[in-house]
Amino acid sequence: MERYLMTQTLLSSWLYTFNCMEELEEDAMNDFLSTLNRETKEPTDAMKNGIEFERLCYGIAAGTYQPTGVEFPRTFAGASKVAEIIRGAQVQVALQKETEVLGMPLLLYGILDGLKAGVIYDVKFLNKGMGGVDLAGKYLESPQHPMYFALCPEAYLFRYLVSDGTDLYIERYTRTETPPIESIIEQFFCWLDASGYMSVYKEKWLAK
Amino acid sequence: MIVRPEKMDFSKQTFSAIIYGAPGVGKTTVACSAPKPLLIDFDRGISRVRADHRVPTIICDTYEEVLQDLSDPSMADFETIIIDTGGAFVTFLKDWALRTKPGAKTKTGEFNSLKGFGFVKTEFMNFTNQVKTIMNKNVIYVFHADEKADKDGTPIQRLLCEGAAKNFVWNGCDFGGYIQMLGGNRTICFTPEQEFFAKQSHGISGKHVIPFLDDKHPNNFMTLLFEQARKNIEAEKDYFEPLQKQYAETMENVKGIVEEITDAETANMAADTIKNLEHALTSKQEAAAMLKAKTDSLGLKYTRKDGYVLKGE
Repeated sequence: MERYLMTQTLLSSWLYTFNCMEELEEDAMNDFLSTLNRETKEPTDAMKNGIEFERLCYGIAAGTYQPTGVEFPRTFAGASKVAEIIRGAQVQVALQKETEVLGMPLLLYGILDGLKAGVIYDVKFLNKGMGGVDLAGKYLESPQHPMYFALCPEAYLFRYLVSDGTDLYIERYTRTETPPIESIIEQFFCWLDASGYMSVYKEKWLAK
Repeated sequence: MIVRPEKMDFSKQTFSAIIYGAPGVGKTTVACSAPKPLLIDFDRGISRVRADHRVPTIICDTYEEVLQDLSDPSMADFETIIIDTGGAFVTFLKDWALRTKPGAKTKTGEFNSLKGFGFVKTEFMNFTNQVKTIMNKNVIYVFHADEKADKDGTPIQRLLCEGAAKNFVWNGCDFGGYIQMLGGNRTICFTPEQEFFAKQSHGISGKHVIPFLDDKHPNNFMTLLFEQARKNIEAEKDYFEPLQKQYAETMENVKGIVEEITDAETANMAADTIKNLEHALTSKQEAAAMLKAKTDSLGLKYTRKDGYVLKGE
């Protein structure tokens, strides 16, 4: 039976088209369509910084980090704070789960940054200082914690660990305050249908 | 001193909380309902609290005066420190940094926002740690709400505060509630909504009506809330203790089993053994991740037919 892949990245990219600033709407829609079409993209500098930061966090947490130069990286202080929290966690845990939304069989898929004793961790890197942004509530409507709670039914808590390389901001969500991912996917499917993109989704996201 | 979970006593657990809302909604009065409170009136707002609800208050002109008062022996009489408001506290810290930290000043004598807020942030955290951890008091941060609009023009409420403090102040706090008037009732909500952020924990969540204060209803809302949180912690402890014990035991077993894997045969045996262990919390997923990492490192792959085999076979 045919199943379709569903990830939080696709849902986030779609939701961003509604939540972004007005002048970025066109870019956001183009990004979403690119994600929907599963086009491979060169990572931006911001993405590269995020990946590098995550690696640093995992390395410090695992005790395998070796400084390559004479100086510690600029983000070492922030990464150490994250590492202290995720130490002992399994990192980059890939999970999948079958479900059905509006009659469509789906394979939910995600990679958890960290998992330890019932708590899911997600490491976020801010490319600008924390002083200039309002972070509180930033992830309230993110599909990430609903998706990961669905993928890992035994987890009871999700913690976003947000660092700008120096400071750490933590936002936590419990399972009880999190909407089911199916409700977000349902809205997404309704939108795909109404916008005429459902056929693209079915073609590009067919699970192997 | 190592204390085992079953011996832990939460009867004297202290809490930290954020209370925020529009001016005049009664934030300071609610904060003053905490057990044995001492208010630090950075905002000069104590006069707006009804006379019979006022509590002992530090009225100060500089941050140094507050530090001096905190070292007074009479501090032992208080169980809760109220910082009113967090935003005004940052203003005091800016003034302190300007006067005492040369790096916080630009050449023209103005506040250097890049370096200056670094000093403010560090001192904000040091102060909170001193009150919470060293002095073992409850801490309540009162903030004015800062109304912003989202993309569609819907109002969203945030903490009115300069610098990064508005973000990291949430990290260490147990609860954060937004106060508003709803249908003639003053309510505080500890569950985040689209319009405002909030923080729930220890079973304290959702909307709570703050009682109208009169002779029959003393100002004890936060005291009762803290008591309820303590009871909930005990209940949580009873629920999680066996799960955490089982989790620790299972993960210890898993580590040993995974360490023994050397080839496809031992990997298959390990997979079977792990499957049959008694799992708790997320031990099953974590064990699967450990197994995968180990088998990957040995160049093994999983097939439905034969289980683990060497890649290329």
